Amino acid sequence: MPVQVFSFYIFDRHSHGGGAYRDSRSAATRAKDDAKLIFGTVFSLRNMVRKLGGDDDAFISYRTAQYKLHYYETPSSLRFAMLTEPGALSMRNVLHQIYINLWVEYVVKNPLSPVEHKNGDGVRNEMFEMGLDKRDEGGPASLNRGATDAASV
Amino acid sequence: MGGRAVIALLIINKAGGLIYNRTFGEGLNQLNSNDYLVLAGTFHGVHAITARLNPLREHQAAHYYAQQQQYQHSASGSLGGASSSGGGGGGGSQGGPLPSRPEPPSGLEVMETENFRLQCFNTQTGTKFLLFTDTMQANVDVAMRKVYELYADYVMKNPFYQLEMPVRCDMFDRKLNSYIREINNSR
Amino acid sequence: MSSMTPTKGKEQPGLRYPSNGKTIYHRPLNRSKTSELSQASFAYLFSEMVQYASKRIESIQDLEKRLNTQGHPIGLKLLDLLLHREPARTQTRPLTIITLLHLIKQQLWTHLFGRAADGLEKSSDPARPDEYMIIDNEPLVNRYISVPRDMSQLNCAAFVAGIIEGVCDGSAFPARVTAHSVGKQQAAPAADGGEDSGEGKEMWPGRTVFLVKFAPEVLERESFLGKG
Repeated sequence: MPVQVFSFYIFDRHSHGGGAYRDSRSAATRAKDDAKLIFGTVFSLRNMVRKLGGDDDAFISYRTAQYKLHYYETPSSLRFAMLTEPGALSMRNVLHQIYINLWVEYVVKNPLSPVEHKNGDGVRNEMFEMGLDKRDEGGPASLNRGATDAASV
Repeated sequence: MGGRAVIALLIINKAGGLIYNRTFGEGLNQLNSNDYLVLAGTFHGVHAITARLNPLREHQAAHYYAQQQQYQHSASGSLGGASSSGGGGGGGSQGGPLPSRPEPPSGLEVMETENFRLQCFNTQTGTKFLLFTDTMQANVDVAMRKVYELYADYVMKNPFYQLEMPVRCDMFDRKLNSYIREINNSR
Repeated sequence: MSSMTPTKGKEQPGLRYPSNGKTIYHRPLNRSKTSELSQASFAYLFSEMVQYASKRIESIQDLEKRLNTQGHPIGLKLLDLLLHREPARTQTRPLTIITLLHLIKQQLWTHLFGRAADGLEKSSDPARPDEYMIIDNEPLVNRYISVPRDMSQLNCAAFVAGIIEGVCDGSAFPARVTAHSVGKQQAAPAADGGEDSGEGKEMWPGRTVFLVKFAPEVLERESFLGKG
């Protein structure tokens, strides 16, 4: 069963909503707003979890009746957030794979890629985008390629 | 590791104020009372945002709009004496099926972390019950239901409880404690 | 659908009649099997009654007095109903303290709470021969009530005490009835006799003693009757 993925965000350590931003049906403005809200949510929950569960605890996901948000944070404070259908199983591995196989391979190792993605310019990295698209292939046709536009928080 | 257990319960009123806070078992850091208040307020805000973030909202709104159009169209058709309306599904003598309103977005219901699981139940009146459990705890829905029932009985029916104020009801404490102990001991 | 239209044009504003025209006054007085009420609705009603009685009170005694006053007329009226429902031979007004208290413990309690009271005792203190105690381990009216710490002497079963008082007054046994919590640490002042041993306190945190103190003339009469 393919899992329906609604959108995917990467935030760098400065909380710039950078990275690949994609959404199935999106207007760019809404996307920007959502990125801000998602970052705020994820950031608050992550802090709350650390406060309650101790510093070694990590926020994994939350679910509402409409969607599920999966979260993965790298040791370098890069934050991945993916919104899927609510019934989806843990996507932690997938996020981890995206980090290892796509981000590290195509963005970090790319000498032309900036070290920091400032002002929410987005990643704009063709190889990375292609890799993401490939991952999506099993997904439903409704998942169009959204704007690669990135929102800054 | 630790067994399955219900660790703590927080109740947040509709304004985001913490009105009840009880810890039943090990597994979470103990915060000071001010931190708990802040936590409740933060969660209240986050909950509202998670409800707004529904990725399907435009899709659902469009769907609803289309249905409504169809309904109005078919209703006016039958009023004019037209024989068959395109509505199909509806069994009544009215036009098409009543447009079904999309479910209101729920907001955060379950949160998972490496060390614990948080289940949130938002009542119709906006009171939130937060049940912190072990990651392995099953049937949290049942426990949540029971906690809500105890609240409805021993808090809402208590003549000395003032709405939206901190819950200080001995009976509620007692019943809640014995219920949670029952769960935690029957692993 | 069409059958749901109102049957007659006798609708009155503010009053609602069942569609078959039978109100509570049409029911036979003797039928008690199906007369159960929802405990939740009673709890909400009672909660409002207590809140109403708590307005502008000066002391806890004030509040208890008001609850007592609310219960008193109920007791007076219930006495008639209960006696009416007795089998024809025993349909007499209680003539001694014991038969009266027994009526309260059995009939009244069963009618109100669906079970008999948990105990009936006479004060062991020889100085107080006019005091009797009716014990309820878990008063139904207090089921959902948590009394705040600063009102710890309060027992909302004062309402039930009022009902008992009404029954006593109605049968010409004038008495003062008060409710005391004995489940918690502090024992009620009058219930300090040896009867109330410690084991009940743990099991029944809501244990309540209704202290019935009869008027002197009642005892006087009782002593005459005893002789005869």
